[in-house]
Amino acid sequence: MSLKDNLSVLVVDDMSTSRGIIMMALEEIGIKKVDFRTDGTEALKMLSAQPVHLVISDYNMPGLDGLHLLKALRQNRTTQRIGFILVSGKIDQTIIDTGKALGMNNFIRKPFTTDQMRTCLQSVVGPL
Amino acid sequence: MTATNDIRQTFFQECDELLEALNDGLSEIDDGIEDSSFDLETVNAVFRSVHSIKGGGAAFGLDALVRFSHQFETTLDEMRSGRLVPTIDVMKLCHRAADHLSDLVGAAQEEAEVDETAGADLIARMAALGAPPGTAPGEDSAATEPELSFEPLGLPIDLAFDPAPIGSRTIKVEFSATRQLYANGNDPTYLFRELSDLGNIIARSDDTDLPSLEDLVWDESYLGWTLTLETEKSLEEVREVFDFVEGLCHLDISEVDDFSNQVAQTQAIGVPDAPLRETPASPTEDKVPSQSYGSSTIVADQPKKAGGSSSKKSSVRVDLDLVDRLINIVGELVINQSVLAQCVDDAGLTERTELATSLNEFKNLARDIQEAVMSIQAQSVKPLFQRMARIVREASDIAGKTVRLETIGEATEVDKTVIERLVDPLTHMIRNSVDHGLEGADTRRAAGKPETGCITLSAAHRSGRVIIEISDDGAGINRPKVLDIAKSKGLVPRDAVLTDAEIDKLLFLPGFSTAREVTDLSGRGVGMDVVRSAIQKLGGRVNVMSSPGKGTTMSISLPLTLAVLDGMVVDVCGQTMVVPITAIIETLRPTKEDIHALGGQNLVVSVREKFVPIIDLGTVFGHRNEPGDVTDMVLLLIESDQQQNWALAVDRIYDQRQVVIKGLEGNYGRVPGVAAATILGDGKIALIIDPEETAEGARPVVPSSMMLDEV
Repeated sequence: MSLKDNLSVLVVDDMSTSRGIIMMALEEIGIKKVDFRTDGTEALKMLSAQPVHLVISDYNMPGLDGLHLLKALRQNRTTQRIGFILVSGKIDQTIIDTGKALGMNNFIRKPFTTDQMRTCLQSVVGPL
Repeated sequence: MTATNDIRQTFFQECDELLEALNDGLSEIDDGIEDSSFDLETVNAVFRSVHSIKGGGAAFGLDALVRFSHQFETTLDEMRSGRLVPTIDVMKLCHRAADHLSDLVGAAQEEAEVDETAGADLIARMAALGAPPGTAPGEDSAATEPELSFEPLGLPIDLAFDPAPIGSRTIKVEFSATRQLYANGNDPTYLFRELSDLGNIIARSDDTDLPSLEDLVWDESYLGWTLTLETEKSLEEVREVFDFVEGLCHLDISEVDDFSNQVAQTQAIGVPDAPLRETPASPTEDKVPSQSYGSSTIVADQPKKAGGSSSKKSSVRVDLDLVDRLINIVGELVINQSVLAQCVDDAGLTERTELATSLNEFKNLARDIQEAVMSIQAQSVKPLFQRMARIVREASDIAGKTVRLETIGEATEVDKTVIERLVDPLTHMIRNSVDHGLEGADTRRAAGKPETGCITLSAAHRSGRVIIEISDDGAGINRPKVLDIAKSKGLVPRDAVLTDAEIDKLLFLPGFSTAREVTDLSGRGVGMDVVRSAIQKLGGRVNVMSSPGKGTTMSISLPLTLAVLDGMVVDVCGQTMVVPITAIIETLRPTKEDIHALGGQNLVVSVREKFVPIIDLGTVFGHRNEPGDVTDMVLLLIESDQQQNWALAVDRIYDQRQVVIKGLEGNYGRVPGVAAATILGDGKIALIIDPEETAEGARPVVPSSMMLDEV
C-alpha cells in the first residue's frame, strides 16, 4: 500500500481557480484520494463525519477562515489528529505563530510550483 | 497542458464574478460614505475580490495584473484596517482602479498588451494615499518575501487506518401515522424508501396498538415505526422527507451520538426489544423490504457516492454555442409539433382521439422545454448596468460634470444575446444623457437643482417585454432648437407644425445632431438613429419622453427572447400573418354604429367613448387598394408604448400559437412593418408584423391633432 494511493486529502478553498491549482498539483504528485469543500464550515461538517488524513486549506475565505478551521478541527476529538497545511498568498509571522500554536503542520505560499507542493507535503507525511 | 487551460479559463470566468463583487462592494461603500455607515465586511469582501484576482494572476504569471492588484490590495488593506478613510476622492480612485483591473483582466484573457502608463499613474496615486513609510502592511511583493520561521510538523500516517468510512451521524425517527394520512393517499413505505435514499436505514414497526382481528377497524391506523438512519445528511434534510405529511402523523426526529453505540443508546432511552440490527446490513442482501407480521425491517444501501466529488456543485458552465444549438433544435421541435398538429387536423381526427390528446401533451412539453432552454439563456442585466456605471464615470469626468448613477431592477433577466447587443446602444444613450441631457453645474445651481446630476437606469418586465429606461434630471429636450435644426437640415418642411412627441422623435432621424460642435463624447458621427436601428434589430423600440426643466427619459422596449413569440395567426386578403400577442389589448368585431368616417377614407372605431384609428393591414401591405368592409373584419386593438391606441383590421383570426422567429434580415432584407417571419405547420412562411411600425407607416394620413382622445 503506497502512501500516494491511500493518503486522503481534503482541499478547502472558496476560489475554484486556486482550488483547481492545488488539486492539479496533488494529481501531478500522484495523490489519489482528493476531495474538496468550498468553505470552512462545510469542510468541518464533512470532516467530523468523515475524517481524512490531511487538510490543505486556503487562509483567506469568507466565513470560517483557514486558521479558524484549524482551531475547530483541533478542538474536536474525531478531527484533532488530521494534518493541516495552510495555503495563502499573504502569510506573515503572526499568521505562522498563530498556526503553530494551533498545531498547524505546514504552510505553503501562493503561487507555488508542484515541486514546492511536494516538498511541503513530504515534510509532513514523509517521502512520496 | 489542457488542465492548465481549463483552470485558466475558470480563472477568467471567476474574475468576472470577482470584478462584479468588487464593483458592488465599492458602490455599497459609496452609499455609506456620508454617514460612514458601510459595513466593514463590505470592505473585507472588496479586499478579498482583489486578493483572489491577484492570487490567480500570480499562478498564471500575469505580472502586470499582479503588480497592479498588489497596490490596489494594499490600498484596500489600509482601508480595511481603518488607516485610510474612504472619502469621495479615495472612492473615485478605487473605482478607477477597479475599472483598470477589469481592463487588465480583459487584456490578460486576450493575451493583449496593456498600456502601462495608466496603471502606473493609478499605482502612484494609490501609493500616495498610503500610510506614512514604516507603517506599511507586513506584506511585500513575492520577490522580497521575508523568511518566516516555521518548523513543519510531521504527521504519522497510519495507512491501515482508513479514515473515510467511519461514523456518519445517526438519526432516529419515530413515526406513527394518523388515519388521515392514509386517507390522503400517503403510504409510509414510500416515505421510508425516500429516507433510505439518504443513507443506511433500519426500520422497526411497533404493533403494540394493533387489536385482534375482530376488533380491527379497517381504516384505522394502528402501526408506528422507529427508524434508525445512518446518514451524512442533517436533521433538517431528514425532516424534509416528511414535509408532505406534516400534521398527519406523530413525528419525532433526533440525533443519536454514535451509530456503533446505538444499541446501548436506544435501550437506554427505553425503546423496547433489544438489538435493532435484526437483519444483517450487508449490501448484497435482498433490497426489497422484507415484511413480517410482527416486525418489519427495511435495509437499504447507502447511496452511491458520485466519483468522490462534492455534492455541493449547483451550477455548470456550458459553452454558449451548445446553448445556441439547443435553442435552434427546440425551435425546430416546435415547428415540427405544429406540422404534426396540422397533419392530424388534415386527417380529420377530432380532438377527442387519443392521438390528439397526446399531441396536445406533446405541445405542452415542447413549450416547457423551450421555456427551460430560454431560461438558460436568461441573464440578469446587472453586469450590463455595472458596465454603464463605468461609462457614466468616464463620461462625466470628460464632460467635467458630477453625475450619480442610480440603478433599478438589476435582477431583471433578459436573453443573453439581447444583453450583449444592448451594450453599444446603451453606452451611446448614457453618453448622450451625460453630455446633452444634464446641464453644467452652474446652470443646475441657477435652476435650483442639486449640482450633482442624476441618471437613472432601470429595467423591468412589463407585459411580456423588457423595458429599459434611461432618465436624467437635466433640462429636457430643447424642442424649439430641435425643430429649428430639423427644418434647417430639411428633415421636415419649413411650415410643419409638430406635436411635442413628434419633435422628440426627430432626434432619431438619420443625420440629426443637436450639439453645435461635435463633442468628444457622444458626437462620434453616430446619431440616435443608429441607436434606434440597433434596438429595432433586436425587435425592440425606443421612445423618448421629455419635460422641460425636469429631464428626459429614453425608454427601450424589447422582446424577452429572440427565438419565439406568442402570436395571433390571422388572415389578411388570403395571406397568413402573425401579430405578436403582447401588443394586442383586445379583439373586437365592430358594428356599423361603431365605425365613423374621418375625412376621405380614414376610419375610426369608437371603443369605450374613444375614437381609435383603424388601419387595414390589407392596404398597408398592398394586398388591396381600397380598405375592405370593416364590419366584416376583425379589429385587433393595439396599444403602443406611449399609450396610443389603434386598431388593425384583419379578415379573420385563425388561432393563437407560439411561433418560432426566423429573421428576415439575414436572408432577405428589412421590410417596413414586418418584424420577422415564421414557418407554419403546413410549411408555409408567414410574416410576423410589427404593429407599432405598421401603424407609424400608415399614420400620416391622420392629422396628428385628431389622432387621440375624446368625442
